[in-house]
Amino acid sequence: MRIPKFVPTVLAAVFLIAQFFQPARGNPPADPAASFEAIAQPPGPVVEVLARSCRDCHSHQTRWPWYSRVSPVSWLVAKDVKEGRARLNLSQWNLYGPEMAQLRMRAMCDEARFGAMPPKYYTPLHRDARLNAAGVAALCAMVF
Amino acid sequence: MKVRNSVLGPGAVLTATLLLAAGCASKPAQVDDAKLKMFAPLPETIPAKAAGPLEAQVSLGRMLYYDARLSKSQTISCNSCHDLAKYGVDGAPTSLGFKGQHGDRNSPTVYNAAAHIAQFWDGRAPDVEGQAKGPVLNPVEMAMSSDQAVVAVLESMPEYVAAFQKAFPDDKKPVSYDNMSLAIGTFERGLLTPSRWDKFLKGDKTALTAEEQAGFQQFVAAGCSTCHVGALLGGNLYQKIGLMKPYPDPDPGRYQVTKVESDRMMFKVPSLRNVAKTAPYFHNGKVGSLDQAIAQMAEYQLDKQLSPAEVSSILTFLNTLTGEIPAQYIQKPELPKSTAKTPKPVEGD
Repeated sequence: MRIPKFVPTVLAAVFLIAQFFQPARGNPPADPAASFEAIAQPPGPVVEVLARSCRDCHSHQTRWPWYSRVSPVSWLVAKDVKEGRARLNLSQWNLYGPEMAQLRMRAMCDEARFGAMPPKYYTPLHRDARLNAAGVAALCAMVF
Repeated sequence: MKVRNSVLGPGAVLTATLLLAAGCASKPAQVDDAKLKMFAPLPETIPAKAAGPLEAQVSLGRMLYYDARLSKSQTISCNSCHDLAKYGVDGAPTSLGFKGQHGDRNSPTVYNAAAHIAQFWDGRAPDVEGQAKGPVLNPVEMAMSSDQAVVAVLESMPEYVAAFQKAFPDDKKPVSYDNMSLAIGTFERGLLTPSRWDKFLKGDKTALTAEEQAGFQQFVAAGCSTCHVGALLGGNLYQKIGLMKPYPDPDPGRYQVTKVESDRMMFKVPSLRNVAKTAPYFHNGKVGSLDQAIAQMAEYQLDKQLSPAEVSSILTFLNTLTGEIPAQYIQKPELPKSTAKTPKPVEGD
């Protein structure tokens, strides 16, 4: 079947117009005293794992890559960051009471151990975020 | 071209469907044990904050809790808004205070409250003892003019003086505003309501029906357990109302206390224990029914549109969190008698 000539032009136009529709994106203020590092005082290996594999979605210190400015991918990235911060926020650790902090740390270990986090669609594009056995062990050592 | 299938007639299809449905109905919902790890039974006791004779403090605290003479009009006690016979609430969106005034926020239940990380929706009091000091002096609530005014009322009754001496034997001046709040707090720490949910957590898998267990699965699957988790299913963190979708309410929540910009719209996550009995819901008391609350929570906090069946399933689970009120413990005691020295009430209505 021959694709009509106008289709690529229309797609390009839609793509260009889509660039004018971008999601809200940004890093809210991150008080260092309220962070997980300051309050829970995790050991070095944990800090390293969090920085590499978790911070971009689960803190206010997201590193926004170039494709996070390109629609429609920007919408997927923004959605992940928004939901990630909602579920676990390493920059607002002061808002968790002692019981909740323990539950969150245990959840970090469980999600890492069962390979649920980082998400399966994320790591192929972010190879350095992959958790190895040592990383998982470091996270779980905090709790058990 | 119509093809007639002689093997799978309508009768056979119907039978197969019925058998499948029957199979599904008879299989009990298997609760995932891993998910249960996020929860814990209610503690048996909450340790007292105050040192000293526990029984005497509880006894004094109980009297103070029910005593309306701690208010300017002498018609409002702690129990007026946190009614112990009604699961610790008054059922109103916001409570009625001195001269018919209303506060801004819904009165939370006093039951199990002592186990929260802080008190009030914005966490401005660290514990129940701290909380007890608030409403008594709040002009729109009990409206006493000062802590000295409260002490004057208490000191006018010899029975109270004796009760304070018994509860705080080491204090030179036992009748004080601080000791009043300590006694009330000690009493409140005994207000615990274990439920069938606790039996289930402790190993009795028959404590919840199959529908209730399915409701729990739904509760977790929807994402409610991101925040409503732990021994109280809440009460252990602050979270933003309107997390995924902006919530239309001007109350800035914790920002009022901390003045930190990122604390806007942050409130202490309420405990879901007894939630079925503590309507209306949310910090503003604007949601009248629990199914509405569930649907709105999903919408604003999880960006999800739950179906009526999903909401109903979650509601079925939440009903299991209704606990047993300690009837003996909350029985209204005989209050000390007023004397000629006791200040008179000021017209409140």
